[in-house]
Amino acid sequence: MPRKNKIYWFEGVTEKGVKSLLNDENSKFTWLRSQRNRRVLVVLMSLGLALTASGSYWTSIKKQLNLDSDVEMIVFSIAAIFVLLSVVGGYSFLRISVRGLADAPDELLDERQIQIRNTSFRYAYLVMGYLVLFLMLLVIVGPRLELFGSDGPDGSFLLISVMFIFASLPSMILAWREKDI
Amino acid sequence: MSRQPEEPIFNRIEELRIERGLSRQQLADAVGVHYQTVGYLERGEYNPSLSLALKIAQKLGAEVSELFSLTPFRKVKSNA
Repeated sequence: MPRKNKIYWFEGVTEKGVKSLLNDENSKFTWLRSQRNRRVLVVLMSLGLALTASGSYWTSIKKQLNLDSDVEMIVFSIAAIFVLLSVVGGYSFLRISVRGLADAPDELLDERQIQIRNTSFRYAYLVMGYLVLFLMLLVIVGPRLELFGSDGPDGSFLLISVMFIFASLPSMILAWREKDI
Repeated sequence: MSRQPEEPIFNRIEELRIERGLSRQQLADAVGVHYQTVGYLERGEYNPSLSLALKIAQKLGAEVSELFSLTPFRKVKSNA
């Protein structure tokens, strides 16, 4: 009888999913695992997240660029959708590039993998602390500086971006720091 | 108490693994780690826990003291 695929609800992964990433079962993504390519991915992901965070201002940019014709509007909208999809795709590639170590449960990792995963979470926690501090300051000074308000850009894209940062930061740190994954 | 920077630990894992005709993957499977962890161990970039060190020594048929040392091992010239 085939063994049941265990689901790790808290981590949001399955046993088979984690094992296939750990064991090179899917060799078509091997090129992603060199440190250089992983770092390129981290840089691209950071750019995508920055673009997403500025998403609340896309409408004002649209006005400033005088995009009035339908064609220009369509081009702008496609570019916006492309950025969002790139971030989602980048997140998936990032997970594959680090073998899903950041989301894997302890029982499927060896002691070195647990150690590097924990270190990446430590750094991610520090970065998130500074990020939350920055967001709190932004909540205080943002409306005064008219960065966002109830009738203008509302900062919702900033929050979407922050959620993606929270989800991907440990993988980004692993991708950047580790020589071999 | 502050933690001192980690002292280098020298090992002969690669030498003994090759002598026993094992691949990194085979040794990794035998001791329950990822094959890249074996690479990290052989290059001295990761120091194993005591239980992992004991498992590796057992698999390679050596004492832990024959595998790991705080001083570099002397190179043995091969007659082959």
